[in-house]
Amino acid sequence: MRARARACVRACMLSRMRLCAFARFMHLCLPSALILDSQELSLVESEVKEEKALGQNVGLRSFPSLFCETLGPGQSNNKMCSTLRKCGTYRTEGRHDHGRTKGGSPFQDNFDKRNPRYEHGGHEFLPSERQENDGSVEMGDVHKDRQLRHTPYNIERSRKLVKWHSEDQIYTTTWRNRKLPERKMMEDTRDGKTRAWFKVTIPYGGKYDKAWLMNSIQSHCSVPFTPLDFHYFQNRAHFFVQGAGTASALKDVNYTICDDQNRKICIFVNQSTAPYSVKNKLKPSQMQLLKLTMDKRYDVSKQALDLQSLRFDPDLTGHDIDIILNRRNCMAATLKVIESNFPELLSLNLCNNKLYQLDGLSDITEKAPKVKILNLSRNELKSVWELGKVKGLKLEELWLEGNPLCSTFSDESAYVSAIQNCFPKLLRLDGRELAPAMNVDTDSSELMKPCKESCNGSETLKHTVLQFLQQYYSIYDSGDRRGLLGAYHEEACFSMTIPFNPEDSAPKSLSQYFEDSRNIKTLKDPYLREELLKHTKRDIVDFLSTLPKTQHDLSSILVDMWYQTKWMLCFSVNGVFKEVEGQSQGSVLAFTRTFIVTPGSSSSLCIVNDELFVRDASPQETQSTFSIPVSTPSSSSELSLSQERQEMVQAFSAQSGMKLEWSQKCLQDNEWNYTRAGQIFTVLQTKGKIPAEAFKQIP
Amino acid sequence: MRKFRSNWSQGDRERYQERSDSYRERAGTSYLSRERWTHQEVVTSPLPKPVATSSLMASSVDFKTYVDQACRAAEEFVNIYYETMDKRRRALTRLYLDKATLIWNGNVVSGLDALNNFFDALPSSEFQVNMLDCQPVHEQATQSQTTVLVVTSGTVKFDGNKQHYFNQNFLLTAQSTPNNTVWKIASDCFRFQDWAST
Repeated sequence: MRARARACVRACMLSRMRLCAFARFMHLCLPSALILDSQELSLVESEVKEEKALGQNVGLRSFPSLFCETLGPGQSNNKMCSTLRKCGTYRTEGRHDHGRTKGGSPFQDNFDKRNPRYEHGGHEFLPSERQENDGSVEMGDVHKDRQLRHTPYNIERSRKLVKWHSEDQIYTTTWRNRKLPERKMMEDTRDGKTRAWFKVTIPYGGKYDKAWLMNSIQSHCSVPFTPLDFHYFQNRAHFFVQGAGTASALKDVNYTICDDQNRKICIFVNQSTAPYSVKNKLKPSQMQLLKLTMDKRYDVSKQALDLQSLRFDPDLTGHDIDIILNRRNCMAATLKVIESNFPELLSLNLCNNKLYQLDGLSDITEKAPKVKILNLSRNELKSVWELGKVKGLKLEELWLEGNPLCSTFSDESAYVSAIQNCFPKLLRLDGRELAPAMNVDTDSSELMKPCKESCNGSETLKHTVLQFLQQYYSIYDSGDRRGLLGAYHEEACFSMTIPFNPEDSAPKSLSQYFEDSRNIKTLKDPYLREELLKHTKRDIVDFLSTLPKTQHDLSSILVDMWYQTKWMLCFSVNGVFKEVEGQSQGSVLAFTRTFIVTPGSSSSLCIVNDELFVRDASPQETQSTFSIPVSTPSSSSELSLSQERQEMVQAFSAQSGMKLEWSQKCLQDNEWNYTRAGQIFTVLQTKGKIPAEAFKQIP
Repeated sequence: MRKFRSNWSQGDRERYQERSDSYRERAGTSYLSRERWTHQEVVTSPLPKPVATSSLMASSVDFKTYVDQACRAAEEFVNIYYETMDKRRRALTRLYLDKATLIWNGNVVSGLDALNNFFDALPSSEFQVNMLDCQPVHEQATQSQTTVLVVTSGTVKFDGNKQHYFNQNFLLTAQSTPNNTVWKIASDCFRFQDWAST
């Protein structure tokens, strides 16, 4: 593309005074504009038509009213005039923002920001001056033409034809020396005030899932960035980033990501003007009006927002605001209002808004993820691929009738299945109930490794550790913890924490542990940090003695041995314990205790580091432990059950309604004779001999 | 004015480092926080040399320094680790030692290659750390290799699914060079609090 651009420019340079030749070239280029946002497509189409009508006078097209008259045959210029007049507002303050015109995004060249003499984009209606310099008129418009396109080579070309304008006078200069892109980048960084924008292109980007693609790029890129205005054009994916540093980091990502067919993904980064939604960001007053309008259209009872034909809402048109939802900036503003005011939105109606693409709407998956009902009927969506952009929503009801895509299917069932592919949980389409699709609920936990039981080292090690823990906890639960002095090293460390919930304060059950909790995320005082870390074994045991008396359930503990060297062993114990005295007597708490031990004298273990984390036990944890009235660890006996017996237990439990442990006990008592166990069970039950706690809670 | 401003990013780093020693430790962390995206390491200022002394006061001073250093390293490390895990997963294994082991809900993953594969396969995550505690590990256990035990707890969502509470423990070891200290994970143990029901 660059070569072509350079060739074009060189051609221009040769005949640089022959502006008409250039204009002709422009004319040639227009129909073949490649990289074009679909949102601009309709605009371009109309422009091309107009342009052809106007013939050589490419320049006059963009200038309204006055020139309409001079043209003679009003022609299609009228259309331009009227719409231009409608858009109206020019902002001369701030950062050279433009009024919106039908001509699409008046691209803000970076030059403008740095040099106030540059034109603001060809929208000033100063007819007299323009009439004087015929040459400049055409050039002016060429600039504008360039603005309409997103084509890279046009952007480059623009650099060669920079217009210098002041507020009152308009004159153009053709640059003879080509300004190299690198130099421009350097200027950006030196300035520091405003950062250059870059457009990132991923050819074939349409093939990949947007979330996967962006995540991969983020993880490969050494600089974090925020992509803006992500959209697809044909099969390409585009987005914008700001900052030369980011751009070069992104350039490095090129050819580093592999897709699932092991093909490397190309990423091109080019300079660009600011993205549409940034350049045409809605003014705060407009946002306010938009918010008010949307408030009126919001139905609180159904949590439904009706944005049907939003453009023609009397409130908006009355204030001369054009909310064309197909445009990125309007859609972004609308989504912003939804995010801040109606985040719990359930139903969104975007009927009759002339939506050609849903690139802008794709952000809704983050901003209003709970939307279940979406009405996109009577828009201009041409393919189901557009719907893929909002695939993140778990839609239950969808309306699509009146879109061109509906007629592209051979029959009803093809249409329905295509939509269901996109939204597997969809219940209603176009008002009709759907047969629920095969629930392909890919729970991602399947992708993760399943959670396993204790990770233990060798058997001897496991045995040693278990023995150690049994000894430790028997002293710990005995009521006099001074016996633990022997277990700790002289200079051992101990600290304790409870979970920190940013929303609620510590639960009552953990109130006794609250004061000594050492959460260095919230505790910033270095003195306290040191205080709460108990250092010598005496301090530790003294502190432990102040904690409430406990009863640990060693049968249900889980030990992860995660580090082992000749000199130390590191393992974590997860389990539950009950408080047997004090205020929260009877409450079951869960703990995770990490020990670092060194081999002590006489094959015992000596604790050097001890960290305790105490939290409320979940209902399952409370239920599954302490309910087995056995003294020996039953886990070993459970493990020794054969597959067949386990199945018997499950079946018995299901039939009798008793918990698994009790079913197992019953079966064991009856020597695994299922029928006999069943008979005994029925007999006992009629006699009322089975305690209520043996039965499973009926949900 | 503009020149001053444009040199800001270059200049202030030097200015920080020019400051007096008393700020050096803080300088270490500020340098770190700015550099972290490029270096992917946890770097702190050089470790204090352990002073062999019999006086109790002196040894308690040393211990306090160890505790301080451990806390700082742990805080900085945890921030970097979870941010990398969420946003730049590919770079995560750079925080592990070559022979590091991860026990993830009971599954053993050992060695950088296996860790790479594991983290690639793990769905995208969203961590929120609510609790952090750390202790300097006694040198008897580590044979004078400075190590810190870090314990964290919080919530995590994988692929935007159900939120799980998790507990994670790390053993961080310091690899000292004359200028700075790089902390890496020697061992990592991660478990959901509701592992039994998943």
